Parts: sequence; structure tokens; C-alpha cells
Amino acid sequence: MTCGPLYFVADFNVETLAREVANSAMPGTAAQTAPPGPVMNALASGSPGPEWSAVIWTRPEGISGSFGRALTYEEPGTDAAIEDARVFAESVAQFGRGTRATFVISWVLPPWHRGYGPLDFHPRLGIARLLSRMNLTLADTLHGEANVFVLDAARWISAIGPRAWSDKLWYASKSPFTPAAFELAAADIAAAVAGLHGLSRRIVIVDLDDVLWGGTVGEIGWQRIKVGGHDYAGEAFADFQRALKALTRRGIQLAIVSRNEEAVALEAIDRHPEMALRRADFAAWKINWRDKAENVADLLAEIGLGAESAVFIDDSPVERARVAAGVPGVLVPDWPADPAKYRQALASLRCFDAPFVTDEDRKRAAMYAAQRSRQASRPAAGDLQTWRESLEVTVTAERLADANLERAAQLFNKTNQMNLATRRLTSGELLDWAAAAGHEVLTFRVTDRFGDSGLTGLVGLAFDGGRARLVDFVLSCRVLGRNVEDMLLHVAAARARAHGAAELVAEFRPTARNAPCLEFLRGSGFRADGERSFVWDLAEPYPRPAWVTLKLEVKS
Amino acid sequence: MQREQALQLVYDAIDVINRQLPASRRLAKSPDTVIVGPAGVLDSLGIVNFVVTLEERAGDVLNGPVMLLDSTALADEHTPLQTVGTLASFLETLEPS
Repeated sequence: MTCGPLYFVADFNVETLAREVANSAMPGTAAQTAPPGPVMNALASGSPGPEWSAVIWTRPEGISGSFGRALTYEEPGTDAAIEDARVFAESVAQFGRGTRATFVISWVLPPWHRGYGPLDFHPRLGIARLLSRMNLTLADTLHGEANVFVLDAARWISAIGPRAWSDKLWYASKSPFTPAAFELAAADIAAAVAGLHGLSRRIVIVDLDDVLWGGTVGEIGWQRIKVGGHDYAGEAFADFQRALKALTRRGIQLAIVSRNEEAVALEAIDRHPEMALRRADFAAWKINWRDKAENVADLLAEIGLGAESAVFIDDSPVERARVAAGVPGVLVPDWPADPAKYRQALASLRCFDAPFVTDEDRKRAAMYAAQRSRQASRPAAGDLQTWRESLEVTVTAERLADANLERAAQLFNKTNQMNLATRRLTSGELLDWAAAAGHEVLTFRVTDRFGDSGLTGLVGLAFDGGRARLVDFVLSCRVLGRNVEDMLLHVAAARARAHGAAELVAEFRPTARNAPCLEFLRGSGFRADGERSFVWDLAEPYPRPAWVTLKLEVKS
Repeated sequence: MQREQALQLVYDAIDVINRQLPASRRLAKSPDTVIVGPAGVLDSLGIVNFVVTLEERAGDVLNGPVMLLDSTALADEHTPLQTVGTLASFLETLEPS
């Protein structure tokens, strides 16, 4: 998948960053810098095109003359500097609307700039205070722009320290930052772009012994493993567990792959009093003596995620190498030997960066727990239909709107298996597509007696006279097998009939991952028209699964 | 400074600068690799980034400032910046502070 070209606008020589992005952080990405000249002019000229993303990086004194004067200890014109920041942000917003996505870098000062020392947060004099307020003004003004993101340069500068900046580079090349600073910036930009395209990681698979706790539970028993307590390593393991648990609030799932006796390991998780992670925090586990790579692959297949969605953490370099080689696509970070560094190693991973955090993200751990209960209630063989009917599934269909846009865009960009066309669009692009004449995008929420699965389905329709096209058919694997997929087709067909169409056509676009969607269409009752085209004659409604309740909150 | 240490410093700076170059144009870690001159692949920005990176790293080793970025040196046909080898030889002559 291409993430599109990148356009760099700066009030300094930003060529080093463009080269770092194009040749290392995002190899193969086309990168172009704006012609030299005032940034405000470059912004006013607009973006090179809607397929471009942009990076805008300025120096605060380059944007605000008042701030520049504050740097030389003149009486700061606080209000004027804030107004300069607001005007700049408005220009960024205007520019950003013409891009696929725009990343604006927060303002920073060199770490060696001491300002007024102890007075640097003084309400009237403070330079650091003024810069903080300018950054907040920038972020607040851009808050409503769905495709504009403020990246925090202070993190790069503090990670590198004084070596982030070089006056020599400024004098020699008009670039104030060193290659080391640009390397971190490029990595964060790449992570943000990847997140925007649904490429952020969604699950962390962890080993147990010497990862979640110290010691081998099978040998010493759960009572003697190191977690919590008055012991530096125990505290570190407990803190690492808390850091993993915190990740679940961003929608990242947890799972276990460990060589252990399952009953012994789960007893430790259930009974150790200082365990921050409990059984309900894990979406799945494979605790046995099989090959770890096979276990990782099987676990991902079971929960319907691809290898490129997963991170695998293990203290053993041998196991890490085995999983990296055996399940290509899984991110297997080098892992520190010292448990005191685990939390930092986890927090340093950029692969979880995403453009938004939805309600579904925050509830995902509970959703997976509900899924386990649901699966446990499913008969191994025999009367599946009675089981389906017992679930009391309700599907609520709503039109795409601001209120559900972020989650809809997330689902749209992250779903691989049950995805008809696998289009990848930013939230703004999806909204624009839905608003175009003859288009309609519906979202679907699913609940049953085990819980709320959230917004897990999306249908995109294009109406053209007597023909309606099912452009997008996207369904989370979390709700597959409950006849929700049939309900989506029923609603899509009903909307097409309401628009006067005579037939509904679904064109399947194959990817490496969406064969399940083709299989579903082949068994859906749609008439096959060639290998990849499926047609429903709208003289008849598409059958509705009688045991699924439909709430149609869509006005014609 | 020992020859091996000097070469390693230059190679470390090459690692930094190679991140900014397409894979097909990256500098080889070899004494013969041209840094400044008609046969070099670095443009002026690349040379500045390379030299300033090397100055910092060499300064750490020698515990004092190292100044290699001299505008006259860049144009001098006998500049120590000609190749990786000449640069390492120049670094060898520097004494720790």
C-alpha cells in the first residue's frame, strides 16, 4: 500500500528531514520541499494536491515577531504572539483541508536556551510560558480539523538533548536541527502516516516467565514468582503489567503465547494478589509446549488479525528470532534484559500511534471477554441455528456522521478479511465520499445478550439510475458468524430499492487477506456474474435473518 | 587517535548520512570512498551534515572541540575531507585535550 507523497513546508532548510523520510523512515515515498520563501506564502499557495500529505515545521520566532522580541528580552507582546500563533494555525487549517493529512510540528526552543531562568514561567515575562501558550493556541485552533495533527517536537529534543540543535548547521545550511533530531522526527511522521492508513499495531502478544513476572512459574509456583512486593524486579514487572493494561485503554489488545502448563500459568494470573493483569485482560492465549511461531500464527488466525497487526514480546532472543522468522510481519522488538527497562521499551514503540482513540477502542478488552463467553456458549456441533437465535442479536444501522466518523474510518482502514474493496481513506476523504451525490455510507452497531460489540460494520453504496453498486462492504471479524453479514446485505439492498435501483452489484477486489469476503459472497445468494462480480435482482428484497433485530435509524 | 578508532568514527558518521541517501547511492565504508570532490556523491548539504556529525563524535572521543568544516578546506584539493582514508589520517593526528 502506498501512503502517498509528502510535501514539506518550513521556515528553515528542511531538506535533511525530507531525505531521511524518503530514504529511511518511509523508503520509496516521494518527498518534496516547498520553494524557499515565507511560510505563510507557501501555505497560502495551497498543497500540491489532495493525494499529498504535508509536514509543516516552523521556528516560533519565524512565525511571531513578538515572540522573537521576547527571545531578546524585550517586553514580550504576549497577546500579539498568541494572535500570531492563531493566525498561523488558521493558515495551516486552510492548507490542511487541501491535503490527505497535514502534520504540524510544535514549537520548541533549543535546550540550552535558559530564558529568564527561574522567571521563565512568569506570567508577564516568561518565554517558556509564552511558547507553551502559543503551542496550546496552535493545538486548540486546529482541534476541529480531522486530518491535521500536531506532532510534539519537545519529545525529540528532550530525547537527544543539546545535540538536537546545531548553530553550526544553522549558519552553514540554514537548518537548525541535527540529523539525529530529524531521524526521530521522521520516525514519528512515518508512524503517524502509518496510523492514519490503518497500519498501527493492534495486539501485543507476550510471553509470561520473565516477561510478565520474574521466575519460572512451572518450577517455583505462583506464590514465589516476582511481581510487585518490596523488590526492584518485582516492582518493575508489576509496572510493566500496568503499562500493558494502560495500552488496552487505547484499543490495543493483549494476548499470551508462552511455553508453560496452561493451568499453572492461568492460576498465577488468577490468584497472585499483585498481578495487575488478569485473565479478562487478554483477548486470547496459547499456553502450551508447541513452537511459539506456530502458536502466534494460530492465535492471530483465531482472533482474525494479520501478522502486521501484532507485536511479540519475549525475553528470549532465540524465541524472538523464531517468531520473527516464522511469522513474517509480526513486529518483534529487541527486548532489554533488565526488567526495569521493560516499561520504557514498551512506551518507546511507535507502532501503536493512531489518529484517534474511539469508544470502541476503550471497550475492546471487555468486548473480547464477551466474545470468549459467546464462543464458550456455542455448541461444538449440532444445532448452531438455535444458538444463533439465542444470542438476541440487534443491528443498528445509521448514516455516516460526525459522531461515528472516527470509529467508522478506523474500521474502514483496519478491516482486512471481510472487506469487499479494501479501500483506504482518511476520515475526511470518507466523509467527502459519503457526501458526494449518489453516494451513501451506512454504519452498523451490533449488540447481543453477551454485550455491545460496537460499530463493527460499514456499507458504501453508489446509486446510478437503475443500478446500485455496493462499493464498500466492511465487517469486523468480531461479529462474523452471527448473521450480521446477512443483515448488512439486507439493509444495502433495501436502500438500493428505496433509491429505485433494479439491481445491486458487488465487485470484489481481491487482496492477500480478503478471501473470506469472496467466500461469503459466493454463498450469499447473489448471482455470480464472472469471477468477481455478484448481482442481486432488487425485484425481491434480500432476505432478512428473522432472529436478528434491526434498528434502522436512516431517513430517506 | 589510533587509525582503527579514526576509521570507525568516520564510518559511524557515514551510517548517519547514509540514512539520507537512496540505497543505490549510499557511501561505502571504505578508505577509498570519496567525501569531497568530483567523484563524491554528497551534495553541499550532505557534506555539511556529514562533517558536523563527525566533528561531534570526534570531539567526544578527544574531549574537546574538533573543527573540520572550513569553507576554504572544502575547495582545497588537498583537503583532508577528500576521502574516508585521508579524513581518518587527519583525525589520527589530533591529540586528546
